[in-house]
Amino acid sequence: MQLAPDAPAAQDTTVAVLDPEAAQALTTQPPQGIERVMLAEDKLPVVLAVVLVIWLGLLLLLYRTDRRLARVERDLRS
Amino acid sequence: MTPPDRDALPIPRYGVGFRLYRIVAAVWVTVVLVLGLLGPISKLPILEHTARNLYFHVPMWFTLLLGWLIAGFHSLRYLQTGRRLHDVKAEQAALVAFVFGLFGLVTGTIWARFTWYVGTDIWWNSDPRQVMVAVQLLICAAYFVLRGALDEPRRRGRLAAVYALFATLTLPFLTYVLPRRMASLHPGAEGNPAFSEMDIAPEMRWVFYSAVVGFFLLFGWVYTTRVRMRRAELLAEDRAVVHA
Repeated sequence: MQLAPDAPAAQDTTVAVLDPEAAQALTTQPPQGIERVMLAEDKLPVVLAVVLVIWLGLLLLLYRTDRRLARVERDLRS
Repeated sequence: MTPPDRDALPIPRYGVGFRLYRIVAAVWVTVVLVLGLLGPISKLPILEHTARNLYFHVPMWFTLLLGWLIAGFHSLRYLQTGRRLHDVKAEQAALVAFVFGLFGLVTGTIWARFTWYVGTDIWWNSDPRQVMVAVQLLICAAYFVLRGALDEPRRRGRLAAVYALFATLTLPFLTYVLPRRMASLHPGAEGNPAFSEMDIAPEMRWVFYSAVVGFFLLFGWVYTTRVRMRRAELLAEDRAVVHA
């Protein structure tokens, strides 16, 4: 989201931690870009993203394990 | 020329027990996913549906701890016995746990970006716990760098085991103890009980515990498979040496 350069939140990044109301005030502006997707449906897409990170990561690990096993099978056969 | 007996790595048999375990793990995690996405949650501002990330983000860190405790245990056993199997188990437990730790870091970053840091375009917010777990993951990553740098198996095993014990010792402090003593986005800062806001929806507690158990089961499955893979690799290497 494009904030005006003099908006306090743009300068003070700790505002969201220390002042929940200020953080809430930020969300009152219409979201832009990636946030338009992620904040839809009460932020359910964020949960999807998190689950997808874990799922794709496990897939990658599985794939790499599979490839090494294939190599062992080749070595044991020769 | 056969390798000494204590180094023998016979291919183990995985019978009914492990098959059953896999089925339980698969069903368990599936149920957790369904409950996690459809179950009741406390409707809080800022968090909204992302409260569900509790079930997926937090168990990653518990799994990191579990995996490194296993790695630490097998490292200790390796130093005591010198059996190669302990070295294999320590390495694979550390690796799978490290991957879960990466999931935890990435999911946490995404979570914070679209909740407390909406509208700021801040991905890395330098929350004390975020920074400290990143340091811990670097400490863990150095274990694999160390392993990769040493060629002689006995020396590699011994040094890696000592280092793994060090990394296991720093882990609880950098991920659990110290971050709780600082102002943080994470619950449990200033010594509060970590789950106070979950009291709004007590059902969340049970889904959360089930999720932790589910990811532990999943960890055990991947870990066992990785140990089998590494055993097979070493067996193939031994045979190559014998036939050479």
